[in-house]
Amino acid sequence: MKKEKLAAGISGLTAFFPVFLTVAIFLAIVLKAWPLISLKSLPRLIFSSAWQPQKGQFGLWPFILGTLWVTAVAFVLALPISLLTSLYLAEYAPNRVRKIILPAIDLLAGLPSVIYGMWGILMVVPMVNHYLAPLFGASSSGYCLLTAGIVLAVMILPTIINISVEVLSSVPASLKEAALSLGATRLEVVRQVVLKKARPGLLAACVLGLARAFGETMAVLMVVGNVPDVPRSLFSPAYPIPALLANNYGEMLSIPGYESALNLAVLILLLMVIIFSLLARLYLSRLVRRSN
Amino acid sequence: MRLSTAETRLRRRKWLDRAFYRLMLASAVIVALILLLILLTILRKSLPALKLSMITRTPGAGYYLGHEGGILNALVGSLEITLGATLLAFILTLPAIIFLNTYLKKKSTLSETIRLALDILWGIPSIVFGAFGFLLMLTFHLRASLLAGMITLALVELPILSRALDETIRLVPAELKEATYSMGANRWQTATRVVLRQVFPGLVTAVLIALGRGLGDAASVLFTAGYTDRLTTSLLQPVATLPLAIFFQLNSPFPEVQQRAYASAAILTLLILAISLAARFLSRKLGRHRIK
Amino acid sequence: MPLAFIGYTQKSRTETVKSFPKVRSNFRRKKIVGFNCSAFLVLVFLFSLTLTWPVAEVSALTRRENSSSTQQPLQLKGQLSISGAWAIYPLAARWVEEFQKIYPGVKIDLQAGGAGKGMADVLSGLVDIALVSRKVYPEEISRGALPVAVARDAVVATLNQKNPFLGLIQKKGLSRTSLREVWIEGRIKFWEELVGQRGQTPIHLYTRSDACGAAETWAAFLGAHQEDLKGIAIYGDPGLVEAVRRDPLGLGFNNLNFAFNPRTDQPHTGLVIGPLDLNEDGQLSAEENFYLTREKVKQAIASGLYPSPPARDLYLVITKPLRNQLTAPFLRWCLEEGQSLVEETGYVRLSWDVLKKEKMKIGSASPEIQKTAKTK
Repeated sequence: MKKEKLAAGISGLTAFFPVFLTVAIFLAIVLKAWPLISLKSLPRLIFSSAWQPQKGQFGLWPFILGTLWVTAVAFVLALPISLLTSLYLAEYAPNRVRKIILPAIDLLAGLPSVIYGMWGILMVVPMVNHYLAPLFGASSSGYCLLTAGIVLAVMILPTIINISVEVLSSVPASLKEAALSLGATRLEVVRQVVLKKARPGLLAACVLGLARAFGETMAVLMVVGNVPDVPRSLFSPAYPIPALLANNYGEMLSIPGYESALNLAVLILLLMVIIFSLLARLYLSRLVRRSN
Repeated sequence: MRLSTAETRLRRRKWLDRAFYRLMLASAVIVALILLLILLTILRKSLPALKLSMITRTPGAGYYLGHEGGILNALVGSLEITLGATLLAFILTLPAIIFLNTYLKKKSTLSETIRLALDILWGIPSIVFGAFGFLLMLTFHLRASLLAGMITLALVELPILSRALDETIRLVPAELKEATYSMGANRWQTATRVVLRQVFPGLVTAVLIALGRGLGDAASVLFTAGYTDRLTTSLLQPVATLPLAIFFQLNSPFPEVQQRAYASAAILTLLILAISLAARFLSRKLGRHRIK
Repeated sequence: MPLAFIGYTQKSRTETVKSFPKVRSNFRRKKIVGFNCSAFLVLVFLFSLTLTWPVAEVSALTRRENSSSTQQPLQLKGQLSISGAWAIYPLAARWVEEFQKIYPGVKIDLQAGGAGKGMADVLSGLVDIALVSRKVYPEEISRGALPVAVARDAVVATLNQKNPFLGLIQKKGLSRTSLREVWIEGRIKFWEELVGQRGQTPIHLYTRSDACGAAETWAAFLGAHQEDLKGIAIYGDPGLVEAVRRDPLGLGFNNLNFAFNPRTDQPHTGLVIGPLDLNEDGQLSAEENFYLTREKVKQAIASGLYPSPPARDLYLVITKPLRNQLTAPFLRWCLEEGQSLVEETGYVRLSWDVLKKEKMKIGSASPEIQKTAKTK
């Protein structure tokens, strides 16, 4: 019994570690960002577009908007494809096809960022430059919001698909069979039964995909254009916060106030992710309560 | 003969059904095509440099200037650092998740806090972990080394591993646990002797997923693991990793070295493919004796 | 997590174990599986232990090394770590290669990651030497940085070979004032304005996204800082080369050794070096036209014809007081025997007096080695 209590105690401590780690990371970031926050007014830092670190100007607005825009574009592109694909894999695909495509999606999920960046530069940038931009009457170098959105969408596809397939597969067969027996077409079964039952899980999949999109660094930074201006269109360059951090991390100690500014940017990024997850959880709990 | 309204409606429903089926099939095909495109792009660019010497030799003198050598240092280094980090993360997360699922009530505030912390950690980009690891290194006066890289990578893998383990352990049917309780086992015995055995294949899959992600992560090791052209044999020496090897070769002025970057990327992809196939294979094989 | 939160994936079916007669063999199988697993874990644990065993050896070795104050040259032993700019990387790699050949007891770890990262690493004590391809800031000097100039190179402007205005540009050159109006002030947006024609063909301007020496030096040439440079910011030198090579209307800049193909000594295929109109007379005279081969550009840098900036000194940065016994000997070697390798790797040698001055800088940092011992 004593051994059990000891083991339980130790595992209790390890269970507490994630909380401790989160608090530690936040504390470290806030402490490092504090000098700048105490020096300048927070609203001016957040909403100003002037980014000139050497002159002590640290307006973060272009980066905040850049992050939001890139994530939004990626999400809008990824959602329909991942939804349709996971529906196909869960409901329609024969076993043979499923056995091939699911490992393929695992492979996509595991590919490192650098490889996506390389692919982005080799394929997506010229595609946007030569084909997509002229199609919409815009001129773009190809290093723009749209390119980053496409590359990021491809990166979050596997995350969303994997979880969605699992969720969709666990809809009880009895419900589907009941609907079919009532004369519904497969599509109607999917729309009226499966999707409604699986909505909480699908939402969870989307939140996870979004969280991944917010934090993705390397691939995005290689194709997004990195211009600290508020993006005016899909074909203009943008500058998300993770890219800002990766580009300038080395210079942090060299320019006064830069370290604080970068840490403040990271703090804002993390707050965005947290707000999204919290909102999603609230919505989820409401959905679950309604369905129960 | 005119169709009755019921028949037109039926035709339309059938048509919709078929149209959506084609749409879903198309999106699955798109996903598969994208994967194929990425793989082919990497392969095409890497073909001239794909030689056996790439994985059997360490960089010779002047490797980044175009001379002989391979990336054995990065291959071995990546395996060293990822295995160590995954082991570390596993030791930290398994007791924690067991505790979370066995000792805490489902909706208690403590379990909610821990899960929230894990969610937040999941959303933190790995470059922030890299920065945090850098901070830890400065505080404890560690130099860039295998140990520092392992710790940082373990922190990055922590939320991934936790989530995967959590999902797996949750799948254990309540009846199984109740059966063991009814036979007089306490919570710890239930957890270790019954639940763990039941979810063993899921554990293996979770570890392999985390391993795959750890192999490809560049941002967390950039500041903490250093780099070297030799094989690392000690925890306090800097260690080469595959993503950084790709990165450095890609940024070299010599086109032959840039080709080797693509070859390294191809090798990394193969490694990840092997791991994900192993994960699927093992989960099927080991799951045969489970209670379903 | 949200999946589990909604108790969603709980499979509600529980089928009992398939067939009873297998129970006994399952038991034994489980025992074997359990044994195998624990054996595997033990093996992994032991493996990780063996990784740490040499640690004791190495730390004892380095402690012994650091305590002795003078060492015979060929018996130099120990480890050195270097990190920093891509621009100096080829030269540093060559030096590291030679040095390790001459002193086989010395192991040097070289890592590139940008001038900024190198500086951050050396200031925080993570590496011994930083490769920095820009001027060192006063803030960094106040934190203990000591730059030692070891070679010279330059940043050059780059254009695409298929640029419709290439012929005119090569006749007239690009003046510093007009380049400033392109990159800093943004007043000049079209190629025609650079060559004095009518029309509105847009300039596709590029710069570097990562905080790097090349961009800072180019900006210094135009009287500003890297953050003031306009244009699409690409990551990394080769990235910029690639961007300009693909874009007929592209205009960018690169480190000398990245703009030229090291094998052929000519600019990369598809790339042309933007000639600078040095006296701003609207014409490129014969003396100002030296961009065909890397050798000619190097001569222009060495003679001072190419302005500085964008020609610049390349620094190996150390911190006072020196912590590693090997730093000073290595630096001295680079400034003496190592100089014979500078030209062949594509850089410009510093003059003899400059080298002497830099060597004295190392001397000023060395006496503190005796006092350092094991302090941080």
